Amino acid sequence: MEGDITVTQANRKCSAVTGSTRKIKDNAADWHNLMVRWEKLNEDGFNVAGNLVNIRLTRSQSDQLVVVDESSSPSSAPSQQTGGAAELQDECCKLQDVIDRMVVVVKKMERLTASQQGFQDLEEFQFGLEGRKCPLFHSWNTKHFNESSCVLLDSFSQELKLKQTILQELAHTATSDLCMVYLSCWLHQPFITAQTRLTLEALLLETGHHPL
Amino acid sequence: MSKPALMSLHQALRKSFQTLEGNQKVWKSVLADCSPLMGSLGNLAEQSRALSNVQISNTPLRDFPDLEERLRFKLSQATDTVLGKLNEKTSSLQSVRDSISNQVSAVFQLYEQNTDSLDLLAVTERSATAPSVSDMLEWLQDAERHYRQQFLRRKTLLLTLRADDLSLLESAPKRWKSLECPGAEDHITDTLCKVSFFTESQ
Repeated sequence: MEGDITVTQANRKCSAVTGSTRKIKDNAADWHNLMVRWEKLNEDGFNVAGNLVNIRLTRSQSDQLVVVDESSSPSSAPSQQTGGAAELQDECCKLQDVIDRMVVVVKKMERLTASQQGFQDLEEFQFGLEGRKCPLFHSWNTKHFNESSCVLLDSFSQELKLKQTILQELAHTATSDLCMVYLSCWLHQPFITAQTRLTLEALLLETGHHPL
Repeated sequence: MSKPALMSLHQALRKSFQTLEGNQKVWKSVLADCSPLMGSLGNLAEQSRALSNVQISNTPLRDFPDLEERLRFKLSQATDTVLGKLNEKTSSLQSVRDSISNQVSAVFQLYEQNTDSLDLLAVTERSATAPSVSDMLEWLQDAERHYRQQFLRRKTLLLTLRADDLSLLESAPKRWKSLECPGAEDHITDTLCKVSFFTESQ
């Protein structure tokens, strides 16, 4: 019984928010969810990338050994090598899969940013260049939401590009230092900064998803 | 020989060994928490080293604006976080040391206050279940010294670490591990076994 009451109260509260306010609030929630999904994908991808580097580095070590041992056992070496290649290919596919899913996330982020731009255009149409007089939520105007979306989208697009570059290079890199740099780029996500997280937090605070 | 003096000394010794036992557990669990942190510290240093060894402008990463600065910042931020956690752990180690030291010095104070009423026989006499007072005092002192030294060594190691000194950070996990002193820990465990009948009796 009690559960039902809270649900109806929640519904009433939700239905009170309509139009642009409703949409912007939903967008903020979407931003949050997409960023959570991204983090999960980043973690998965890091494990795959780690495996990839391990295979690659042990392979390049065994390649060197093969060169040394070539005269003694020429028959066993190639089979070992192709085994490594298949494994490498397998991990590359997995990583490609992770990145494909990251591309989908960023596509959705682009759509969110575009819809945010839409709200701004709509508001200019409704209220003229100055925009609406009273803010939709606490203090931000529509332009502010738009700017936040752009900041977030920029970070993730740049990060995605970085990851795509890493995917292309990782399996072909034999120097352990460079492999390490790729891995630490993947893990630490240099383009997703404290500012990115603060922007999201501000968005959630402003739209009331997080209590002020 | 004064019976009440011996009784109260026994009581204080019991309490000390109970404190020691509890604190030994805390100490072990804090150290267990430290080793993965030390591992990540070494790992972060390795990553920074690799970044220094690579000339980003000669790699496919050259197209990314200030990638090196950004990554370096992230790495030093992560190093800072780990160092902060290790510092928290050190304060837990410090409170273990303090608690043992306080307890042991309280027992010694009590003993010194009562030396007049405790003759040689009373402090050296032992039974099937209780070791002699002198033995127990010695064991407590050994344990106290062990934790005091261990704490100082570990604290000193952490104090010398600096986020910008890679070679120190890289060698830190190894040096941290070399401070381990299983012999002394086992000795304390043995002591606790030897006094177990005594501490359980009332």
